[in-house]
Amino acid sequence: MTSDGPVYRAPREWTRLHAVSPLLGGWAVLGIVLAYVIHQRLPDWVAGDEGGWDFFDQFPLLGLIIAAALGFAATLAISVWQWRRTEFRIGDDAVYLRHGIVTQQQRQARLDRLQAVDVVQPLLARLFGFAALSVQVAGGEGSSVELKFLRLGDAEALRNEILYLAAGLRSGEAPPAPAGGEDDAGGAGASSLRDLAADRARAFERPEDVLTGRERVRTAVAAAEEREVYRVPFGRLVLSTLFSGPAVFVVLAPLTGILATVFLKIDVLGGVLAAIGTSLFAIIGALGALLGFFWTRINGGFGFTAALSADGLRLRHGLMETRRQTVPPGRVQAIRLHQPLLWRGQDWWRITLNVAGYGATDEAVSVLHPVATREEALTAVWLVLPDLGEPDPYGTLGYALHGTGAEGGFLASPERARRLDPFQWRFRGVRATERALLIRRGRWSRELMIVPHERTQSLGLTQGPLRRSLRLANVEVHSTAGPVTPVAAHLDLDDAIALLDAQAARAGEGRRRQTPEQWMTAVGLAPAAPAGPSASSAPSAPEGDPHG
Amino acid sequence: MSWYENAAAPWVPVSRRLITARLVPAGIVFGLLVLASLVVALAVGEPWLLLLSVAVLAIGAWVAWVIVRQVTAHAWAEGEDDLLVRKGRMFRSVTVVPYGRMQFVDVKAGPLDRALGIATVQLHTASPGTDASIAGVPAEEAARLRDRLTTRGEARLAGL
Repeated sequence: MTSDGPVYRAPREWTRLHAVSPLLGGWAVLGIVLAYVIHQRLPDWVAGDEGGWDFFDQFPLLGLIIAAALGFAATLAISVWQWRRTEFRIGDDAVYLRHGIVTQQQRQARLDRLQAVDVVQPLLARLFGFAALSVQVAGGEGSSVELKFLRLGDAEALRNEILYLAAGLRSGEAPPAPAGGEDDAGGAGASSLRDLAADRARAFERPEDVLTGRERVRTAVAAAEEREVYRVPFGRLVLSTLFSGPAVFVVLAPLTGILATVFLKIDVLGGVLAAIGTSLFAIIGALGALLGFFWTRINGGFGFTAALSADGLRLRHGLMETRRQTVPPGRVQAIRLHQPLLWRGQDWWRITLNVAGYGATDEAVSVLHPVATREEALTAVWLVLPDLGEPDPYGTLGYALHGTGAEGGFLASPERARRLDPFQWRFRGVRATERALLIRRGRWSRELMIVPHERTQSLGLTQGPLRRSLRLANVEVHSTAGPVTPVAAHLDLDDAIALLDAQAARAGEGRRRQTPEQWMTAVGLAPAAPAGPSASSAPSAPEGDPHG
Repeated sequence: MSWYENAAAPWVPVSRRLITARLVPAGIVFGLLVLASLVVALAVGEPWLLLLSVAVLAIGAWVAWVIVRQVTAHAWAEGEDDLLVRKGRMFRSVTVVPYGRMQFVDVKAGPLDRALGIATVQLHTASPGTDASIAGVPAEEAARLRDRLTTRGEARLAGL
């Protein structure tokens, strides 16, 4: 990956995004219009009602084409205008973005609040070698900065530089540039079309890399060396999706229908046909939702790879839209391992996590492992929590995943909880290790939630009238918005109170010794060596070494 | 009745003026409801419809009782490292918020609150689950509490 062509330098002055952005971004609007038209017209068309076309019959074909062209031109013009008004720059402390046609907004993502940096490539952008960069910072909805679009190499370089700065390495210590990098300081907009074409031609010498989102690009600040930890085989992903509630529904619904027809002499088919006749659109909607579920699972989990680097966790996945996520050390707020009933045979687990920047909006972004074997599940927990604070972490996790009652040192629900919780009470359990709180629950579909002590935001103790009559209480651990909401339910009141106090003390202890926000400034990780922690067994190439 | 006894710091009960602040809007709502039911009863002319008014009145009295019980159960305590908020009688809860986790503090007071000289102090952490609002803090105490919390938060500030 030596230099031919200009090397990207992250802009310190206000800079526009790549000139092609309006072309890549504007399609969503057309899609929405199209979807709306289809949504409005589909029932008529399906019903064979010629009236559905009346609207179009009023106009000559040429008029329609002109209208479409005008609409397209208007959309494009607005996109271009928006693009012209959108500028970004990075400083030592923050990434700045200003945009807006009528009212200008300026947004800054403070690097000391950085939670994750994602390089996102929708299909169209991927084919042409572009990517959006999304910088997630703590601070609620809408505090993230999205830069769409940059050339893939530029986006990756920008990500590396942002991570470099956020890690506590000042720009004075010079993110090293390869030789010849200095002569071109033009940034994204300046790269010529010919360069781009040449770049693409090179990339498509290995089309499978482009399509799976593994394309390697040249960047000014080298990415931290990474070591792959696990990769999800496609076969397992498909199987796991088939062993899911919606899939079972798809199989069982017609089966029950047939059985009912044969044995109970119920005219199910007639009923179904009548239902279809009356509400075809509702049924199409339901099917769409079902397909949507499969699609989300397959699309999100396709080619899922997790790796470890000095900059933290790197996740890469996606079929249509690939996403390369980097979550720096100490940004994972909570983990949830979930095993649906049908996955018990294979002992598979789906692992999701809370990261402050991701929030609760997109579940696919908060996945640590779409379908893990037991081994991989333990590895995934280790990725986030290298030190569980236990002499025998795997034994403890074993009890956490499969144990019942008080075995393995868990604090279990007392038997009188049975009246409130007849099925699960024996499977509920809480245990605090040195570094994290483990909360276990679920009889048929099992669940384990892990919250590192230093990530505890606040704690709650709650009790309603029913629990009060049984002297039970819940202990809640408040985590950031996300798929994990850890609650230890139905504990004995005295146990719960003791747990609350102990947990508050442990959280305080955890905060005192937590890794600093600027993870490279931790003791032993001197800023002079941006290559990565020496503890990592990965062959850490000295990427801080300037070539010039 | 044993519930969370806080050994580290004494509970500070919220101002009893909060009872008034909550009774007034409830009183207005129930007053209007009683009035409406009376009007209906008189307009229809069926005397048994007056039972409706009595029922509304009874519910109103129960609500008033609940308000009094809730306010007397509401308290906060400033511990060494955490702020504790206690609330509720029937559905009771204790929330423990470490000062170092505090993102910002809100002090809010509506017109009625201002007239009564009380305010609501609310702590926000990075978690939407944190329900740490203290209603009915005397106004000047609210400002002091906010400043104290902010100072302590800055002293113990930790990342997320």
